[in-house]
Amino acid sequence: MEFLLFLVRRGLWSILVLVGLSMVIFVIARVVPGDPARMALGPTATKEQVADLQHKLGLDRPIVEQYGLFVAALSHGDLGRSLLSERQVTADIRDSFAATFELVVATILLAMTVGVPLGIVAARWKDKWPDTVVRLIAIFSAVTPTFFLALLLQILAGYVLHVLPTTGRLEHGTSFVPDITGLAVVDSLLRGQLSVTLDALRHLLLPAIALAAATMGQMARITRASMLEVAHQDYIEASRAFGIPDWVRVLKYTLRPSFVPPLTIMGLEFASMIGNAFVVELIFSWPGMAAYGIRTILQKDLNAVMGVVMVSGVFFVLVNLLIDVLVGFVDPRVRIRGAR
Amino acid sequence: MAVLSHQNQEARSANRRDRDQESAASSADRRDQDQAAPRRVSTAYQSWYRFSRNPTAVIGAAIVIFCVLIAIAAPWITPYPEHVGAVVNFKARHLPPTLAHWFGTDDVGRDIFSRVIFGYRISLLLVVVVLGSAIPVGALLGMMAGYFGGWTEIVIMRVTDIALAIPPLVMALAVAAVLSPSLVNSMLAVAVLWWTWHARLVYSITRQIRTQEFIEAAETLGAGKAHILLREILPNCISAIAVKASLDAGFVILVGASLSFLGLGVRPPTPDLGTMVATGSSFLPDKWWESVLPGCAILFVALGFNLLGDGLRDLFDVQDVR
Amino acid sequence: MMIGRHLLSSAALAGLIAGGTALASAPAAAETLVTMNTVQIFSSIDPAKISDYTDYMAAVNLYDGLVGVGYDGGIKPELASSWDVSADAKEVTYHLRPDAHFSDGSPVTAKDVVYTFERLLKINQGPANLFADVLKPGSISAVDDQTVKFTLSKTYAPFLTTVPAVFILNSKVVEANAGSDDGQTYLATHTAGAGGYLLKSWDRGAQMTITRDAKYYRGWGDHPIDSVHWIITNDEATVKSLAASGELTMTSQYQSPETYDALKAMDRFKIVKQDTAVAFYLKLNNQKAPTDDVHIRRALACATDYDTIRGTILPGGDLYGPLPKVFSDFYASDLTAPKFDLACTKAEIAKSKYAAQSPVPITLQYVAGTKFEEDIALLMQSNLEQAGFKVTLQPDPWNRVTELATKLETSPAVSEVFFGPTYPSPDSMFFTQYDQKAAGTWASLEWVADPAIDDLINQARATADKAKQVDIYKQLQHKLVDRQSDVFLETQTVQHAMDKCLSDYKAIPMQSFDYDFKLYSWTCK
Repeated sequence: MEFLLFLVRRGLWSILVLVGLSMVIFVIARVVPGDPARMALGPTATKEQVADLQHKLGLDRPIVEQYGLFVAALSHGDLGRSLLSERQVTADIRDSFAATFELVVATILLAMTVGVPLGIVAARWKDKWPDTVVRLIAIFSAVTPTFFLALLLQILAGYVLHVLPTTGRLEHGTSFVPDITGLAVVDSLLRGQLSVTLDALRHLLLPAIALAAATMGQMARITRASMLEVAHQDYIEASRAFGIPDWVRVLKYTLRPSFVPPLTIMGLEFASMIGNAFVVELIFSWPGMAAYGIRTILQKDLNAVMGVVMVSGVFFVLVNLLIDVLVGFVDPRVRIRGAR
Repeated sequence: MAVLSHQNQEARSANRRDRDQESAASSADRRDQDQAAPRRVSTAYQSWYRFSRNPTAVIGAAIVIFCVLIAIAAPWITPYPEHVGAVVNFKARHLPPTLAHWFGTDDVGRDIFSRVIFGYRISLLLVVVVLGSAIPVGALLGMMAGYFGGWTEIVIMRVTDIALAIPPLVMALAVAAVLSPSLVNSMLAVAVLWWTWHARLVYSITRQIRTQEFIEAAETLGAGKAHILLREILPNCISAIAVKASLDAGFVILVGASLSFLGLGVRPPTPDLGTMVATGSSFLPDKWWESVLPGCAILFVALGFNLLGDGLRDLFDVQDVR
Repeated sequence: MMIGRHLLSSAALAGLIAGGTALASAPAAAETLVTMNTVQIFSSIDPAKISDYTDYMAAVNLYDGLVGVGYDGGIKPELASSWDVSADAKEVTYHLRPDAHFSDGSPVTAKDVVYTFERLLKINQGPANLFADVLKPGSISAVDDQTVKFTLSKTYAPFLTTVPAVFILNSKVVEANAGSDDGQTYLATHTAGAGGYLLKSWDRGAQMTITRDAKYYRGWGDHPIDSVHWIITNDEATVKSLAASGELTMTSQYQSPETYDALKAMDRFKIVKQDTAVAFYLKLNNQKAPTDDVHIRRALACATDYDTIRGTILPGGDLYGPLPKVFSDFYASDLTAPKFDLACTKAEIAKSKYAAQSPVPITLQYVAGTKFEEDIALLMQSNLEQAGFKVTLQPDPWNRVTELATKLETSPAVSEVFFGPTYPSPDSMFFTQYDQKAAGTWASLEWVADPAIDDLINQARATADKAKQVDIYKQLQHKLVDRQSDVFLETQTVQHAMDKCLSDYKAIPMQSFDYDFKLYSWTCK
């Protein structure tokens, strides 16, 4: 019960945060120089055409009034129309967000399924060679610039070895459209088109590896550190004294409480992952929201910029909320303490 | 999690302090017995001793110091220092690494090795600019939020949350658009968001120790707020801040390189590692040295800071710094 | 690598690659697919809103206009089979082909033409600026089902050359889907025209696919291209990977020289080079210090290493004045080649009013992320600093270049800009760049503001007599060269790496009309 209250309080604060975020970005987007009307019309537009479009977009009204209109529209779920694509921003974002979401989910899965076991291995054989190898991998994956890794992977796997595709989400001539969940892997499975699933996975692999590397390293290190910390606890010693077998001790008693730090880290890593996603999406021509965001910022497609920032803000807040829940689930002590 | 480990950390630090005092006391006792005048081993020496026994910390420190030194000495140790200025040599374009040009030449014929060393200057400058502005601001705000509580705490922490929800790249691009695209401008934009991490860190530490006895004692004795913040609370945060700063330095370099890669780099012809990777990437894989070697240089210095931060973390036994 | 929009907005000569094996009756015939990369996304396919190079590349395949443009810049019939011009050049009447029909089968009538132009003027975007002051709403009328009359508000000689920029819409379809914005939402994702290709799929940030309409009214040759697939690429590495994996048939014209070399080394590709009407200038700000002094401008012209630029950095053709040689009828052939001579630079600085300020500070702007522009900037900096200038390089993203160009105070002293004709007439080169009425865009960074020049431009527009036009344009060229309004670097030679089976690419001096895949053929089996 107290935990529920805690979550509700966190939820309300999150909404406040998002409101604040919307105001900040709104002002920034409009204060930044560059005239969206001119950019949309192209270089040969006349002054009258530009003024005409500015009026149509409501850019000549005071900024407070513009914000009011924005919020009013937002309450209907209307993010306005994109200047460049002419479609509803919600439609543009839905398409590009699904692609980014798929990439991020794959990245997180990869980072956790590779990072955590590596951390366990390192903790189990502390100070022996597996530990050193894991620590080296972790260090190097954390310090390699993501864009550098992405370039190297693309050149090696795509250009030199020809084993994996280097751009896009699916084969270029394909007519498959992920319209159920937006995730190519999931939708193709639901439709039973396994060849498309395989294709989607092959396209997903390189970008996910590039993006996951840094986080995977962190996961490994944190898992290792927290497992070692837990391993010092008295109840672990006691379990060994009681003759409980090694693997049970490691997996059942040590792992669960060790899980909290990696989870918390995930929330923090997530922020930098979104940042790195920009570069990865650019290099692999992944049709995601990050690339969309850069384009719309540079073109001053104001509605689209607001949409992108708000969506990523909401996403970020939700993920952190989710992590709080998971942490509470895994570690009962936090549930109680957090509710106080 | 932070809450949990803090308690552990406190307990462990308390144990360690006890143990240190014991060992200091016992060694002092022994010396007392040997000599007439008692001598204490200073904590500074103890720290140095522990530090030097930690291989990661030593390697990290060595790398960082090496990079700082060659960056400072750049004009005197590089073979072609003029190549960071307005020099082009179209007859010597795209040369592979040779004895004359250790890292080869780029597409206007400039020596890449010299430019990489000068590039370190920009990277390290960025670290100074960003952390130099982010840490004091963040630490101060975090301390104030943690100590004063009430509305101060609420306002500061919510602003922090908002800042954390802004994608840093969006911020950098927006600021770059306002102030014209240059690396320092973009990094200032990132610094504007960076202080939040330090604020959070210092905030959680402050909250921990706020209720401790020595704070109460200082308050009872009539110590002013400023004194309490700066002389009582801050020293307890220093170690955590130092660890985080060291780890951050690596990230600042990587973020800076990413921004340059996207085109928000320094004004040419000044060399900058991220920009060199970006421009060199058009020539992969044939003229790999133009992109790969500057990339490795970034990796090298980021590695140094990372190892150093790791070492410091082990040293100060700070668990909740990432 | 991001290429500025200015490159893509100017007319580019590009060949179309036609490829494809005959589909028709052969049941198991292979479909011909051409995959081409492009470095910029398609922002619109609505004929009333397309404005740049990349947009036209798609639109010219999806739609047809009243007329088209031939390899020599001449106007050729498309939906209209013939046209008449009145004696005072104020009325133009087009006669539509009786067999012209849209992709849904309905015939193309004069009503559709009227609707298309009226809608364009109403929305007032895209190619509408070509008709500002020339066509007023209501001045286009349908004489009968097959005849359309345009009544111009004044004599405007280049009118015939601007008509190809407008693609004709199926008025019934658009009106049925007009919604509240004249069909802008509908046409943002659908086509409603008489083009040779139909839109199959379009993922804005990543790709577009179009397929051949077998029922196209003008019919097809023996080896048409059945599908065209455009992929957006952001860097050279991607292009090379696509080429290596066999996916790519043709590159864009904006790849780096190293990429072309790499593709040439792969046996599958040939490199096709064509001279274009796109000129590459160092635009000099004629009204701002220090380039407001003609001696400084001449100093800069002397400090330019034309041979290295044309030979090594970006291969291109000769350019001695504002008008490229391709406009052979109007070209002033008595113009001479500029020379690279640093002694001349020093002498000119001494004659200028900034001589005392040596080294003279000057800013050189170029589009950030464009390798060869940076190389040229570095080369200029290196030479200029030897001769008495202090150069600050200013790489700006394209949107900033556009923004800075709107005001005189923020326009840089020197800027690297490509400009090509947006319609196949020399008026496009002179008016858009040098006329005061066109000031404030990236194309007019010279801020020339000379009433004598404006006067000449207007005279050329107001006369239908070709001999007079030739005389006036030659005068204009000499005037601009004398005042050294720009440093004239070179004309662009476009390069494409394309599959050896793809042929019939030839440059057309109008936007990206040379990417009309109806003109290409696929010669392999």
